[in-house]
Amino acid sequence: MRFLGEMLSEAFNQIGSGNAELLATTWRTLELALISTAIALLVGLPLGLLLGERATRWPRRGLVLANAGLGIPPVALGIYVAFLLLPGWPLGGLRWTYTLPALIIAQTLLAFPLVVALTASAVRGLPAGLLDQARAFGASWWHRGVFALREARVGVLTAIIAALGSAVAEVGAVVIVGGNVRGRTNTLASTILLDISASNPAGATADLIVLVALVLVLGGILTFVQQRERGRHRLAVART
Amino acid sequence: MSALAGDLLPTTLRTLRVGFESTAIAVGLGIPAGAALGLGRFRGRGPLLAVANAGIRMPPVAVGMALWLLMYPTSVWGGGPLSGLDWLYTTSAVILAQSLLALPIVIALTAAATQRVPNDLLDQARAFGAGTFASALLALREARIGVLAAVTAALGTALVSFGAVTIVGSSLGDATLATAALVQWGAGGHDGQAAATGAVLIGMFLVIAALLTALQQERGPATVVVRPG
Repeated sequence: MRFLGEMLSEAFNQIGSGNAELLATTWRTLELALISTAIALLVGLPLGLLLGERATRWPRRGLVLANAGLGIPPVALGIYVAFLLLPGWPLGGLRWTYTLPALIIAQTLLAFPLVVALTASAVRGLPAGLLDQARAFGASWWHRGVFALREARVGVLTAIIAALGSAVAEVGAVVIVGGNVRGRTNTLASTILLDISASNPAGATADLIVLVALVLVLGGILTFVQQRERGRHRLAVART
Repeated sequence: MSALAGDLLPTTLRTLRVGFESTAIAVGLGIPAGAALGLGRFRGRGPLLAVANAGIRMPPVAVGMALWLLMYPTSVWGGGPLSGLDWLYTTSAVILAQSLLALPIVIALTAAATQRVPNDLLDQARAFGAGTFASALLALREARIGVLAAVTAALGTALVSFGAVTIVGSSLGDATLATAALVQWGAGGHDGQAAATGAVLIGMFLVIAALLTALQQERGPATVVVRPG
């Protein structure tokens, strides 16, 4: 038990003293999560809306694809993104290997199916005829979309939190595409790997505490909103 | 030495073995627990479900790091509480970590699936004299699509999640899994092997995804999120 106590007290010391590196890593993690989620939302929300609104053949296939994409192995996606960015490959000219933009590409690709699938299933869960009614009243595509997303906001929020959470927690693609370069492309989660391999268990414990706190805060927000809206939309627990 | 230099076949087989064993453990514990949470009416049920749901979101590296602290071998500072097992950097530790990652998925999805079984049906069964155990079995059979989806999602997680594996196992040597080997790509010189390992993982993913899709067509859960790596 003494080992555990030492590690925890040393970790809390580091957090309490405002360790600059820990702060910078936390900020980088948030930056990565926010930017990649924003890009995924920009493209994924309209697409999810389209797939959720129409139940004809092609949208349904698209939805199946998005659902399947939820489980894509991040390390496998990471290795192919990393290849694409190598000199001599299609995106090699950008010189993005082991940089933050490369990480953003990988995390956006991972977040994209989440946003599309969760948005589509939220829109599909709206009362039948609601959107037809809006169309009958002459609402434009844009207005109908905004209306549908507002009605399905719990599902959309679930998608946002899931995308943020995935970017915060993920290490496979982060390490492969970003190289886990300390001070440049490491996130909170991947710093645990760095600190462990650098025989710095106290530092890794500090990362662990901050990471878990971040995840709990994200989850707490989601639970709070879901509870508040519970009467309107019953979400299956599995969707978180 | 890069782990990618090793043979692809043993790594693939080891990945499958660890995946199936951890899923089996998670299913063995998780289905009874999930059914109890989905069907039971006892105090503390809500908080326990919340813990299972929070568990799904817990990053694999966090689970791995916590296990690492618990299993740290005896040293000048003493050891972790589980140091007696002597499991750190062995396949047993990897299986334990992957089971812990898969467990909340099985529990939460099984609970959600059994909750959707109509209450009338279970009341009727009880009226005909079915005990708690028999009516739970009936509920699980009625919710079988959702339970199968839970098992598949757990298997997906156990196969593709990498964060915990690399901390409590070792990325090098005989215990390497496909995911962990792939992350060694940065060590250089094995592009072909990395592409092949990636293809193996994508192949496993396609099988899991096809299974889940088929289950969803059968009116399973609308979306099943597999844990990020």
